[in-house]
Amino acid sequence: MPVNLGFAHASNDFLIAALLIYSLAVLAFAGDYAFGRPRRAAGAAAGVRTGARAGARLAAVGAGQATVGPDAGDLDAGDLDAGGPDTADGTPGDGASGIVAPAVPARPVVPPGAFRAMWEAGPWVRAAAALSAVGMLAHLVAVVTRGLAVHRAPWGNMYEFITALTCVAAIFFGYIVLRYRAWTLGVFVMGAVVLALGLAETLIYTPAGPLVPALQSYWLSIHVTAMTLATGIFFVAAVLGIMYLVSEIYRKRVEAGKAEPGNGLISRIPSAQTLDKLTYRTVVFGFPVWTFGVIAGAIWADQAWGRYWGWDPVETWAFITWVIYAAYLHARATAGWRGARAHYIQLLGFVSLVTNMLVVQVFITGMHSYAGVSG
Amino acid sequence: MFRPKGRTVVITTATLAVLLGVGLAATLLTQGKSNASADGIIEYQQRPVAPDFTATSLTGATIKLSSYRGKTVVLNFWGSWCPPCRAEGPTLAALAEQYGKRGVAFLGDDVGDTPANALSFTRGIGIGYPSINDPGYAVVQKFSQVSPVSDTPTTVVIDKSGHVVGMVLGEVSYGQMTTLLRDAAVVQ
Amino acid sequence: MTDVHTPASGPEPVTEQGEATQPFGGGDTGAADGGTGGTSQPSQGNAGWLRWGWRQLTSMRTALILLFLLALGSIPGSVLPQQGADPAAVQQYYAAHPALAPWLNHLGLFNVFAAPWFAAIYLLLFTSLVGCVVPRTFKLAGAARTPPPRAPRNLARLPHSSTYASALPPGAAVEGAAAVLGGQRFRLRRSEAAATDQGSAEHWVSAEKGYLREAGNLLFHLSLLGVLVSIAVGGLFGYKADKLVVEGQPAFADTVSALDEFHPGRLVSGSDLAPFSLALNKFTASYLTSGESRGQPSDFNANVTYRSSPGAKPASYNIRINDPLSVDSVKVYLIGHGYAPVFKVTGADGKVDYQEATPFIPANTGTFLSDGVVKAPSSGTGEADLGFMGVFVPTAIKVGGTLESIFPAADNPAVSLIGYSGNLGMNSGVSQSVYQLDTTGMTKISGSPHLLLPGQTWQLPGGKGSITFVGVKQWVSLAITYDPGQMPALVCGILALAGLLLSFFVRRRRVFVRAVPAETGTGSVVTVGGLTRSDASGGFEEEFAELAAEIAAAESVKHPEEGA
Repeated sequence: MPVNLGFAHASNDFLIAALLIYSLAVLAFAGDYAFGRPRRAAGAAAGVRTGARAGARLAAVGAGQATVGPDAGDLDAGDLDAGGPDTADGTPGDGASGIVAPAVPARPVVPPGAFRAMWEAGPWVRAAAALSAVGMLAHLVAVVTRGLAVHRAPWGNMYEFITALTCVAAIFFGYIVLRYRAWTLGVFVMGAVVLALGLAETLIYTPAGPLVPALQSYWLSIHVTAMTLATGIFFVAAVLGIMYLVSEIYRKRVEAGKAEPGNGLISRIPSAQTLDKLTYRTVVFGFPVWTFGVIAGAIWADQAWGRYWGWDPVETWAFITWVIYAAYLHARATAGWRGARAHYIQLLGFVSLVTNMLVVQVFITGMHSYAGVSG
Repeated sequence: MFRPKGRTVVITTATLAVLLGVGLAATLLTQGKSNASADGIIEYQQRPVAPDFTATSLTGATIKLSSYRGKTVVLNFWGSWCPPCRAEGPTLAALAEQYGKRGVAFLGDDVGDTPANALSFTRGIGIGYPSINDPGYAVVQKFSQVSPVSDTPTTVVIDKSGHVVGMVLGEVSYGQMTTLLRDAAVVQ
Repeated sequence: MTDVHTPASGPEPVTEQGEATQPFGGGDTGAADGGTGGTSQPSQGNAGWLRWGWRQLTSMRTALILLFLLALGSIPGSVLPQQGADPAAVQQYYAAHPALAPWLNHLGLFNVFAAPWFAAIYLLLFTSLVGCVVPRTFKLAGAARTPPPRAPRNLARLPHSSTYASALPPGAAVEGAAAVLGGQRFRLRRSEAAATDQGSAEHWVSAEKGYLREAGNLLFHLSLLGVLVSIAVGGLFGYKADKLVVEGQPAFADTVSALDEFHPGRLVSGSDLAPFSLALNKFTASYLTSGESRGQPSDFNANVTYRSSPGAKPASYNIRINDPLSVDSVKVYLIGHGYAPVFKVTGADGKVDYQEATPFIPANTGTFLSDGVVKAPSSGTGEADLGFMGVFVPTAIKVGGTLESIFPAADNPAVSLIGYSGNLGMNSGVSQSVYQLDTTGMTKISGSPHLLLPGQTWQLPGGKGSITFVGVKQWVSLAITYDPGQMPALVCGILALAGLLLSFFVRRRRVFVRAVPAETGTGSVVTVGGLTRSDASGGFEEEFAELAAEIAAAESVKHPEEGA
């Protein structure tokens, strides 16, 4: 079937629109940083409170009462709510996880709505959220119209892959923002999305066209979809990981007295502890998807090339990426390896993933050379 | 609380580890067995019955193996594209001349070839005995069920009662052929 | 009564993702330690050293290091050419780096994934895995039989807790809560029967759920082991073979000498090959004829006729790239294709020395400009052999005197030949490649290449003979594979994924309910507390909130007349 040029052009236009709208959203997020409501004081108190709670429990452990099953930083809605309703005194608004003295009976309380919280966070956040949502919509339309143009799943070459995975990353980030009220991460995640899309548009662009016979299989929808999703999720995890490291450095500087816990740029982002938790949960979400993608790829390889694993360079690097993320998960369970070290591992995993995508697929000849990029 | 004896745990772990080791040793050892088989003679203690086949010769005549019963048969699998086959051609031609008088029948099986190329070769070397036109290795497949023909050239000797005496893998030499023919009770 | 809570079966020190690794047979290693307790000095004697070594091997830290090594070791296998995948590239590397290549070879870097050092890494890793997983399996079995611990005295100190007032006496309130928890499939443990002094009886219930988490974790790791074993089985009993087939040629039988390449597993011999035969009727390649991607292939189709055994009924099939043929348990894949121009060569005596479709190898996969060789040994003694090096172009145009192909389909085929006469060397017995012409011992026939269109004949100068370009056929290369470990590997892979999902998204959690009589009246104050370990996916707080609400609501539903 010939390419539907109308849809192809529409896809290009919508993608450029998405790129511009995302850029404006990033500016709005940055504006919130610069000019938005001060709220780190509450966040810092929340962080400290959590730490104090943990400290109390650890002391209890020392006394021989090993009630401390749970992780000292079990993620409550309060942790991330650095920008929530102004609770400058630091008491958690969400009773379900609060410490309530037994003498005061109370019913469990459900946390307030996420949209309302975002609305109340200030005009900059409202603008950023609106722009991001519109941008995501345009992005989604771009991906869908590309698929309609070529009459197949729109991830058949590098350009399509990047546009699709950034769409996944953006939508996944949207979910995180709503679930954990993490709009302070917006600058970084959406900024990364903008960079990736820009790269795709300028250097990697491939016009809409049909696939070579080797790719004409329903496995494209399964294997590449899974890899697209997993890459989008790991993309977000990587950005969060970088933010964690920045937050950690900042925290250490505050402790060493070299920096003021104040209202500066870095003090706006959630606590290191929170970012650590969030990164972990994101990787946990992405790892099974990546595993499934590798298995689906093996099944497809068997259909197409006669063997389910042949140490083709791309297969090998997908394996390396899997092993490194597995190492990250193991590191989280090993004393002395939690914290910054584990995050370095996680970032190494993402570096391996990007190497696989941009270097191995393009420059090393193997059976996976479908990038559509000359090289 | 249920705690297994340390011994149980050790035994279970050790068993799994041994299984693992065996499995992995097997993987390590399966590094590409090479295609080449060693040249040389194979002689059968228990001579299997040669499978009968009917085929067409290069010139179009019908050839049936069982029609050779009562004679010793030298069956040579060859191709005009195959240098060792070409090299042993003169040896076979001479043997055919020599033993043909003593009632030994020579038969060729031309594999993976075209009649034009094959006949060009036999014409040039002076091979007068017929060859089967077997471009798809069908006769080879049938024969391999009894006696594996894994290489080209291979020369098989079948005795008067239709049993396989043995075979030579690779280019035949005069000495190898006379050994086999003697064991087939042709040569005193 | 002592203030509760740490019988030996209490919650073990917890880590984010699973319990601390226990050296087998040992006890708790203390708070949240990832098994590094083994760094203490080993006790005296060989047994002590062995025990220490084993504890080191099965620790998380070692697993971490081995995982890194595994990833690191895989890198050269993807960057350097590998013997198994592309031997020609390895030869090229030797040619390009004559000093470096032998050293790399000694280190096994041209066959990384079969190298002993790579095997040592994953061998150790899996040993560490087995040594860790087996004791934990026993521990899980034990934990599954152990009732939940007693409820702590002060539930308010748990990370999740809530309190409400109940109109029921403590015993009934706790029973109501237990009913709710039991309905949610928690395992329960109730307080003992009333103490001698009625006033100081305790009323509590402990509930625990989520054993599937550890079961999933163990399933995942054991399934990885299963994958490894499946790969080994495939390597032992399976085989791979290649065969190049030309359109219209008679069917070839699947036997060792017929195959171009045969790589059997260790325990496989030629007689294990499936007895099928296969002929290529026609190969069709479709290419895009217009648009930006003109010349890109759009479809490949190899129409074959096959018999599953000699004498069986013939059947036909269209083998495509993502659609292999299955015969018995053997699969036949379409791997590549090309052109085989048909040549007829006559010698000086006028008789036909050679007539065959000669496979040419594509040099350019975009335009399918292909190289090949024709070897026509002479039939007469005294006659010279003839050899030709040819370039075949499917759609020929002349660009500035050079022959080029502008489209991969055979729309305008032409072949350009350089002729040689002399001794091909085929009678010496030394094997030669059918795609290469050894011109030592041969002399060139003419100065410049001779162009032939289909049907044309080149009469060689000096009466040496002639060569006719009869027509063009296509060839396909087929891969024939048999892998008995394939299905088990898939099953283990799926089990591993299932185990992974269970271990991530199931939480091991405990909920406690304690009721004490209210200050006034016959009611009671009920405290509900909950804690979770390793909440990878989050969400326990919501579950707890729902549970607490349900417990509180259930009681008012049961006793509507008493009010809340």
